[in-house]
Amino acid sequence: MNQAPLAVRASGLVKRYGDVLAVDGLDLDIPAGQFFGLLGPNGSGKTSTIHMLATLIRPSNGSARVAGHDVVKDAVKVRAAIGLVFQESALDQTLSVAENLRFSGLLYNLAPAVIEERAAELLDLFELTDRRNQAVGSLSGGMRRALDIVRGVIHHPRILFLDEPTVGLDLPRRRKIWRFIEKLRTRTGMTVLLTTHYLEEADSCDRVAFIKSGRLVKSGSPRELVESLGRYIVEIESPDVSTLARRLASGFGDCIKDGDVAHFRYAGEDVTRLAPLQGELGAQLSALRWRRPNLNDVFLWVAEGKL
Amino acid sequence: MQWRPVYAVLEREVIRMFRQRSRLISAMVRPLIWLFVIGTGFGAVLGQAGGVSYQQFLIPGVLGLTMLFGAMLAALTMVYDKESGVMRMLMVAPFAHYWIVIAKMLAAALAAVLQALLLLILLAVLGTLGAETRFGLLALGLIATSLACAGIGMLVAAFTRTLDNFAAIMNFVIFPVFFLSGSLYPVSRLPAILKTVSLANPYTYGVDLLKHAALGVLPSGMGADFQVWVDLAVLAGFTLAALLIASWRFSQESAYEPMIHILTGKHGGGG
Repeated sequence: MNQAPLAVRASGLVKRYGDVLAVDGLDLDIPAGQFFGLLGPNGSGKTSTIHMLATLIRPSNGSARVAGHDVVKDAVKVRAAIGLVFQESALDQTLSVAENLRFSGLLYNLAPAVIEERAAELLDLFELTDRRNQAVGSLSGGMRRALDIVRGVIHHPRILFLDEPTVGLDLPRRRKIWRFIEKLRTRTGMTVLLTTHYLEEADSCDRVAFIKSGRLVKSGSPRELVESLGRYIVEIESPDVSTLARRLASGFGDCIKDGDVAHFRYAGEDVTRLAPLQGELGAQLSALRWRRPNLNDVFLWVAEGKL
Repeated sequence: MQWRPVYAVLEREVIRMFRQRSRLISAMVRPLIWLFVIGTGFGAVLGQAGGVSYQQFLIPGVLGLTMLFGAMLAALTMVYDKESGVMRMLMVAPFAHYWIVIAKMLAAALAAVLQALLLLILLAVLGTLGAETRFGLLALGLIATSLACAGIGMLVAAFTRTLDNFAAIMNFVIFPVFFLSGSLYPVSRLPAILKTVSLANPYTYGVDLLKHAALGVLPSGMGADFQVWVDLAVLAGFTLAALLIASWRFSQESAYEPMIHILTGKHGGGG
């Protein structure tokens, strides 16, 4: 274990809220240094899982060790080793950028001089240096998000939890946040546990796990998962898609339906075999196309429980 | 526990106090209105009662009032922090969650003492502060009373979900605590029921301690009502009890979910 110590190890993690089972026996091993994505539809238990690992809520059952410490018995030690960026801001709007970082740094018992130094470095990395003395309330949403991440790493955590770090931001700002996180990872080598439902953002993860109804249903590298789906996704669009789906089930297997469109998996490499479908199905067809699968497809197939 | 996190909470409170000018100005104007409008008005009716003017009699009361408001408003930033999300920063920091309550309580007491000191400077400039003031006792009175006021504030904050009902807090906490405390009239002269209520009010003993500092014990009964050690014992006992109850309540909230749901706006399964 010395070569690859585990940053996170959860076994049989359960979180129950009354009758609702939010997390249902989750097992998770994340080696140190890994960029790990926890993916799943809303309400699948991602946030509950992160909050248990970050010691903010107690597991109803099972156990978890983060940075080698038990999340229930050694909560304070766990908190010292992790950084957590919530879906919502954790900043004081009435204080300036620098004051927020000083406040957060002091909470981690950092000396003021150390805070100054790290703040300068991180603000530079996140392109916020000239906002140093501005009140947080006057920053744009993207800058605030960036500052929230700086806030979350000012104490140089070994493990960073990012819960939907780009939710609510437009595409250019999301890209920017991702460039910052990437730079931060290369610089520090920290373990990052990400939850997101923008699947294209999880493409750069070393490993992703899909959870559904609080259970881990599929995990692997994004490439493996995409490949496990098949070579192509065939999309068939028709006003009567159900009938077509039934007709094609024998040759193509199960499909998932999205309005008037049915998605089939196609494992073969030879797409010329798909072209005759057009003639075969004829007028019932509004559109026929095939393309390479991506993580979004994995997500859809997992969400439908068909993968 | 290290001292830096506590210091961080104190520093933030002081920055916010001086940044919110209107809060600070009203903290100064409020006692001056009591002193110079109400004090002068009633003073004209009552004249010199038992060797002190009514205005002089009011000085301990308005010092206490400043601390009561100052500490309450600072303690209630705990509720603001839950609403605005700053509590998230405190919750993920590496110390036991009851330290948040201790630090917040000290910050509220500090805000109260600073505002009382500002008021004292104003009173000295206006020539209202008597030369016979005993400053050692005054310092003791400010510290003990500010901590007790912070205790009241933390109790309220621990049981308050939103700041929407601040008016209710004013009506049902701040005003009764102030009016039934001997700030405006000597406790010894109150009718039995009001006297009993005043005796049960911990804030009464803070005002009494300040009366020891500003007025001393007067044969007329217009001075302090209790002995210094009684005041100190009651204030210390109450402050400790308030701290324990508020910490207990907070740890219940933070360890058993409600807090994180307030902070994330999530219920049940969570995303």
